[in-house]
Amino acid sequence: MSTLVFDFPLGWQAGLPLVALVLGLAAWLPMRRGVPKRRVAIQTGLRLIALLALVFLVSKPMWVATERKPPGQRPVLLLVDRSESMSLKENDRTRYRQAYDLLRDHLLPAFKADHTPVRAWLFAEEATQADGPQLGAAEPTGKRTNLGGALARVLAADPNPPLAVVALTDGIVNENGENARGLAALVESRTPFIGIGLGSDAGARLFALRSVDAPPVVATNTIFQVAAQLEMVNCEELEPLDLSLMRDGRMVQRKKVSPGSGSRYWQESFEVTESLEGLHRYSIQFLPPAAPGLQCLNSQGSASVQVASEKELRVLYVQGALTWEYKFIGLALKGDPAIKITGLTRTSKQSIFRQNIETDGELKLGFPVSTEEIAPFRVVVLSNLTPLDFTPAQQELLAHFCGDLGGGVLMIGGPATFNSTWRGTRLEQLLPVTFPANSEALGLDRPFRVQLTEEALQHPLFRVASDRSTAAAWSQLPLFAQYGRVGSLKPGAQVWLEHPEDRGPSGKRILMASQRYGAGISAVIAVQNLWRWRLARDSDVQQYDRFWRQLFRFVGEPVRQDIMISLADQDLRPNTDIQVALQRRVKALDTPGLPAAYRFQVEDESKAVVASQALELPPGRLVASSFHPAAEGLFTLKVLDAYQAVVASRTVDIRDLHPELQQTGRNMEILAQWAHASGGLAVKAEECGNPAALVAQIKAKVEQVRRTHPVREPIGVNAWMMLAVLGSLGTEWCLRKKWNLS
Amino acid sequence: MKICLLSRPRFLAGRVCAILATALLLAPGAQDNADPSTTFFMGRIRYSQNDGNDCGGVGQELMKLVSQASTIKVQQEKVLRFTDPELYETPFLFMNGHNDFVLNAEELEALRRYFSRGGFLLASGCCTNPGFPKACRREFARLFANEQVVSFPYDHPIYRAFSVVTSVRCLHEKKDIHLEGLFYQGNLVMVLCEEGLCCAFSMENRCNVGKGVSPEDGKKLALNIAVYALTH
Repeated sequence: MSTLVFDFPLGWQAGLPLVALVLGLAAWLPMRRGVPKRRVAIQTGLRLIALLALVFLVSKPMWVATERKPPGQRPVLLLVDRSESMSLKENDRTRYRQAYDLLRDHLLPAFKADHTPVRAWLFAEEATQADGPQLGAAEPTGKRTNLGGALARVLAADPNPPLAVVALTDGIVNENGENARGLAALVESRTPFIGIGLGSDAGARLFALRSVDAPPVVATNTIFQVAAQLEMVNCEELEPLDLSLMRDGRMVQRKKVSPGSGSRYWQESFEVTESLEGLHRYSIQFLPPAAPGLQCLNSQGSASVQVASEKELRVLYVQGALTWEYKFIGLALKGDPAIKITGLTRTSKQSIFRQNIETDGELKLGFPVSTEEIAPFRVVVLSNLTPLDFTPAQQELLAHFCGDLGGGVLMIGGPATFNSTWRGTRLEQLLPVTFPANSEALGLDRPFRVQLTEEALQHPLFRVASDRSTAAAWSQLPLFAQYGRVGSLKPGAQVWLEHPEDRGPSGKRILMASQRYGAGISAVIAVQNLWRWRLARDSDVQQYDRFWRQLFRFVGEPVRQDIMISLADQDLRPNTDIQVALQRRVKALDTPGLPAAYRFQVEDESKAVVASQALELPPGRLVASSFHPAAEGLFTLKVLDAYQAVVASRTVDIRDLHPELQQTGRNMEILAQWAHASGGLAVKAEECGNPAALVAQIKAKVEQVRRTHPVREPIGVNAWMMLAVLGSLGTEWCLRKKWNLS
Repeated sequence: MKICLLSRPRFLAGRVCAILATALLLAPGAQDNADPSTTFFMGRIRYSQNDGNDCGGVGQELMKLVSQASTIKVQQEKVLRFTDPELYETPFLFMNGHNDFVLNAEELEALRRYFSRGGFLLASGCCTNPGFPKACRREFARLFANEQVVSFPYDHPIYRAFSVVTSVRCLHEKKDIHLEGLFYQGNLVMVLCEEGLCCAFSMENRCNVGKGVSPEDGKKLALNIAVYALTH
């Protein structure tokens, strides 16, 4: 049944009276001039035809039909997922086998009984038509699941829209680029999507090494971590397994891991120190634990680390009076040629003591007042100072140093350093803690031991001993007598050391904290006389020294490159466009906004250039680039300056991991979304006990779609209509010429 | 390495004491209470048969000057033995004396431990008496293998640590006085002045009239030693 409707009814509602008025005037005027009535009637009739046709078109006429072809002639399309996730075994059968059995034993007989023709397709990355034997012989080995692409493909393959598309899948979809096409094809063809979910919602029993993480660049002789992200799903108690760390193909460390039971995601790490510069590849691998039915994935992963000699790290130590802290920190750094400390100490109101300056003029007027003066330093330490020791411009310069130039700012001391005089200052804004509103009474501190937070226990910064745990090493520290009271912790800041008993606004009193501030790091240590750690009778001098060396590297990040190469959150796999963001740091002598010519270059493991692009990198702005790796491997991303010198580099491990098995639980949500968008249905396979009922449900859905989504077709825009308009107007013009009418 | 002094102190005596007090002050916030965990501004050493009382007014005189010249609260000096646990809370020690002495094995071991952790000792022979410096050279040479107490030429940074000292004339002999010291792993851990330095900087040489270091040079040297200890 079809109905004529107008999408723009105002067209004829206003058009018809207008036509009547125009034609009436057009007939009345000639008759006044004495034109014969017959001629006037013929002219008016011809004009009427043309104007009525125009009014009809303006009103946007549409034929609305509920169905064009009887449902019985249309097939049902069956899409069977043959991707790798369908190979997961549950109840001793793979998901694919479960789908095939459901299809063969229940669905096909039910459709046959209903006289509904069926066409089957297999799909993973691509969709291919399959007959019965092909369905039975197919192996679920597809590396990706592209449901949207499969829908678009199968609907485009037949000009006659199907009755429905029935997909037998676990819903683990990892290719979404063609979803829009698939959805458009479903909606245009008014085909309901029926999703039948295979597998369990919890997922299969699985043990996997998801990734290996390591810092892309480290300094020589610096401790860093190579960590394996491990995952186990639905596992019973597993035996301990060996985790091995390989460096450039040779095993260097091994550890025993006890996975336990159940489902969890955790990290196991190795601590590594490199003395040799160069690119090193670290791999972590495990021997799959022996457990029946357990699927092990990615038993090996790797990451690359560029070990580079660090640039000189200069520390500017500014203090309001000579302190022992400065002396002992100096001793700690004495064995590290890469770190140089420059002292700037107020010895009276009129005099300043400078130590380890590089030129006679350096810091001659005291604390730096310009970017050029402060830029040579990577870290500024502030101790026993008050806001009166700085001008507002100098505080602003410190913020610029940390936030824009990527420098580190460390405030250290006790009550004389951390007090309310700093409250509301520019310096307070960049530190990780606030300052208290009121200074507390001095001299009331009781002896205490510093207490590491959980985060500190895991962080390499606090790993000061090689022969014992971080907790054990720090427990040997002596008692300290005093500490500075800081206020609350800023959002995003990290507490590292706490007072064991005293409580502040953010819980336990903060003794050490740090945060990212713009491009740099700011930190506070509120323990008075931390030097006692080194002098203590039973202390290990090396631990104190290592802590300070690691702290200055942490705060100053000496291996930070002038140009940052960052990768967006994306799959790093072959044959995809890997998106890269480049950003040049703002430096002291940069002219703001001035671009500079660079070349972004990508090399594969054989040093062959696989991508190269000239680009400009204005300071502080993100510039996007990309490359397209054709195969797996280790790729080195480089930025070269105008002199072809490498100013930044980063390695990227491109691997075709198992995206199909990143999540193993059935995803009914995906199927429900497709069903909802097309007026279809999403059911779990275990709910399909009565196939006839399922087929009846499918047919009911089809009928519902037919009723609620009628076909609409525009009419009138065709050659006949054009012929009527042009013919009537042309004839009218010819007659006027013949009858000599103006 | 380069050390510069921007402005020279106008009132040298007061400045010497202020800086020395800072140097000797082990905890800037040290209080007058008896908290055993607080550090002391100076450890006055009682060693061997010495009771730490030679030139007994040195410490008190120093305390007075410190109190006048500095707003930092300081604690009474504490007389220590090398074997006392408090030694490791005291980064600056002072010992003086007139006579020969011998350190026992326990004291030597404690000193080794103390110096290896960054501690510093200033030793001063009282009243230009040769017994004490001679014993110092002998006993401290026993601490570390291949390390002797050596004399510093005037180009050593300790002479420029705060005030520039180009030479120190001996008042009773035609010679220059040189500081001496002991190094451990390249770090200067002990400084010795044989010619009554403590008498000069604290007592205006009243106990050593016409001998040794002049009071003016003594204050400069004491200041330089203190600053050096705080910065190296």
